Amino acid sequence: MKPDDIPEDMPEDIPEDMPENISGDDSEETVQVPNLDPAFKYEVMRNEGAGGLKYCFACGACTASCPIHEIDHGFDPRKLARMVQLGMKDEVLSSPLIWYCSACRNCEQHCPQSVEFFNILNVLKNMAAEKGYAPYAWVVQTRHLMRTGMVFRTDEAWETRRKALSLPPLQLDGEKVRELIELSGLDELIVKKRP
Amino acid sequence: MPSDSKDKRIGVFICHCGKNIAGGVDIEALLQSIRETPGVKFVAENRYSCSEDGQIDIQNAIQDQELDRVIIAACAPSLHLMTFQRCGESAGIEPSFVDLIDIRKWTMHGNPEKVDPDEALERSKKLIKQAVKRMSLKRVIPQVVVKTEPSVLVIGGGVAGLEAALDLADKGYEVNLVERLPTIGGKMALLYKVFPTNDCAPCILAPKTAYANIHPGINLLTYSEVTAVEGYIGNFSVKVTRKPRYINEDSCTGCGLCVEKCPQKVIDSVYSAGIGERKAIYIPYDLAIPKKAVIDDENCLYMKTGACRLCEDECPTDAIDFDQESRTIELKAGAIIVATGFDEYNPTEKTEYGYDRYDNVITQYQLARILDIDGPTKGKLLRPSDGKEPQNIAMIQCVGSRDENTNEYCSSICCMYALKHAQIIREMVLPDTEIYICYIDMRTAGKNFEAYYRRTRELGINFIRGRPGEIIEETDTKNLIMKVEDPDLGRLLNLEVEMVVLSCATLPSEGTEQLSGILGTALDENGFYQEVHPKLRPVETNVRGIYICGAAQGPKDIPDSIVQAKAAASCVDGELRKGEIKLPEFIVKTTGPDKEG
Repeated sequence: MKPDDIPEDMPEDIPEDMPENISGDDSEETVQVPNLDPAFKYEVMRNEGAGGLKYCFACGACTASCPIHEIDHGFDPRKLARMVQLGMKDEVLSSPLIWYCSACRNCEQHCPQSVEFFNILNVLKNMAAEKGYAPYAWVVQTRHLMRTGMVFRTDEAWETRRKALSLPPLQLDGEKVRELIELSGLDELIVKKRP
Repeated sequence: MPSDSKDKRIGVFICHCGKNIAGGVDIEALLQSIRETPGVKFVAENRYSCSEDGQIDIQNAIQDQELDRVIIAACAPSLHLMTFQRCGESAGIEPSFVDLIDIRKWTMHGNPEKVDPDEALERSKKLIKQAVKRMSLKRVIPQVVVKTEPSVLVIGGGVAGLEAALDLADKGYEVNLVERLPTIGGKMALLYKVFPTNDCAPCILAPKTAYANIHPGINLLTYSEVTAVEGYIGNFSVKVTRKPRYINEDSCTGCGLCVEKCPQKVIDSVYSAGIGERKAIYIPYDLAIPKKAVIDDENCLYMKTGACRLCEDECPTDAIDFDQESRTIELKAGAIIVATGFDEYNPTEKTEYGYDRYDNVITQYQLARILDIDGPTKGKLLRPSDGKEPQNIAMIQCVGSRDENTNEYCSSICCMYALKHAQIIREMVLPDTEIYICYIDMRTAGKNFEAYYRRTRELGINFIRGRPGEIIEETDTKNLIMKVEDPDLGRLLNLEVEMVVLSCATLPSEGTEQLSGILGTALDENGFYQEVHPKLRPVETNVRGIYICGAAQGPKDIPDSIVQAKAAASCVDGELRKGEIKLPEFIVKTTGPDKEG
């Protein structure tokens, strides 16, 4: 992918207003089990490091030790594990929640059944990105990274501050980074559209 | 030795039982009050009367104060009366002059009878004073030594009864094993596989039934019921009614030709839980012991209409005997073991689950029969409504258990058998069928049971920590729809499945009340046989010489039933092995064969 082929930083389909409750759907709606996908859990567990999910008996030690849950109760590892077990595929993959994890792995430390929840989340994130559910912020950053080799956008003020600190101007070439990204297949994920 | 003189020297010992009593009643006030009670020569307190130190204190007081009768106010007689009688005996006091009265039930935390300290003080005072009065009136109860019969009656031929019978027969006792049904093996023989090892039930049981059948020390009395029991430990006399099989057991070879010919089909509610049929003449199942035919006289055409007798024509050994009548035999027994097992709760009264209305709602016992490769469906799991393989199944736990409207107790085995059936279905019958187990608590406390639960999760079985409110049947598909709250998700689930299996409570077996009346043994609040003490004397009953084991004492699994069977056998051996026993004379005179009115 040439730099000019990379889409603009801001995807066109980004909603004008992000929802205020960013932890997403707090639905109280009844789950219609017949509409779920019982094979989803196997799809997830097939992946390296995610097989422990089958042992989860929903004790909640993960949620109780999660620093993200403390800040935003919407992020609840036990609930997410449960949703996967029951086969709530669409709801899980489209949920912004799966991207909240800070990778501290407290949950894994405390899990009595050795479920590696961080690995499970990674599997879910990959599946979600394949479907175009990657968060916009991540898409924007990755696109920018590919174009400039930098995660953050820089501007004149930035350069002025660097100059004041006697730092040289930033002149990065995104080429090497782009090669790596293309090797990993990440470039294909950043152009996926949400269903 | 104590005399019958008027000058009785009664000592009262009040036990603190740590804080169990001392924490709930004013011991000083109690001591003061008893000290002033007429007839009491000596009063003392102990921190733990039953401990070695406590017993030495009592014995020293007996010597120093020249006591000839003692009352210990502590815990229940079922717990420690024998302890204190032994203690008194070593200090020269006749056992009947040692009394233990329970004042702890009013003071101990967690005891349902606990009352406030003032009430406890009043009640304790009153009870001790009554005991003092009673003790002052007591006479020596003469003891006599009587010979004991070296034979044992075991009632119930399930796994517990068999184990006890084999244990005792191997020890040299003559055992009469009475079984109500035409075959021994009980419920276990019909369970296909048994947790936590998943070996097939016959693998474990068949060697036992076969051994019992040939053991020279065991006399099998199948299709028989105990109708009367008299006597006392060492010398029971028992009446057993043998129902007519209408088959000469000695000639019948179990070939099954009669069964093939019999034109009369009947729903088999006993051996196939109402799932399959049998003939009016039948052999219960392939591995039945004894493998002899039996004629069901309520359904036999000849018995009903006077015409048929096809079986008689067919039998190569002329074993059919329509003239047989029920007969009663008399047996002697030194001791009796009751192992009458359990029955599955009939969930019809839980109308919300529609067991009697919906075709595709069955019980776990029925499922066990269905999954059995030798059972009525040869192991094929099909929906009763249309004979299709169910794509998803829900199991509902605690149906009729832990429920104040039906049975308040936990039936203890249902979690494990639900896991077992889920494993069998997933691994051996319908691997692609989704299984949902709706539970309240998952109780897998036995040895290796937690690993069994983990293994079930490994197979991808869905566990939902909630109890469905009610089941609605979809009229066209006969599918079953239920709402169940999933607290792990914090949401309601709307579950639609093609089959529902109810994990029903374990009840005392039919006829328990009647038999306990014959035996004079007590039943507990749930109708199971009451043990003397739940921890220390779990297989003894209120009648010395009558013991209980297995599910007759309370819901339990096979490992625990075996343990109890062996315990009961050990108790019997302990009482009978000397060949004679010392008993209060009045017991021999009032309940024995030479009883005086």
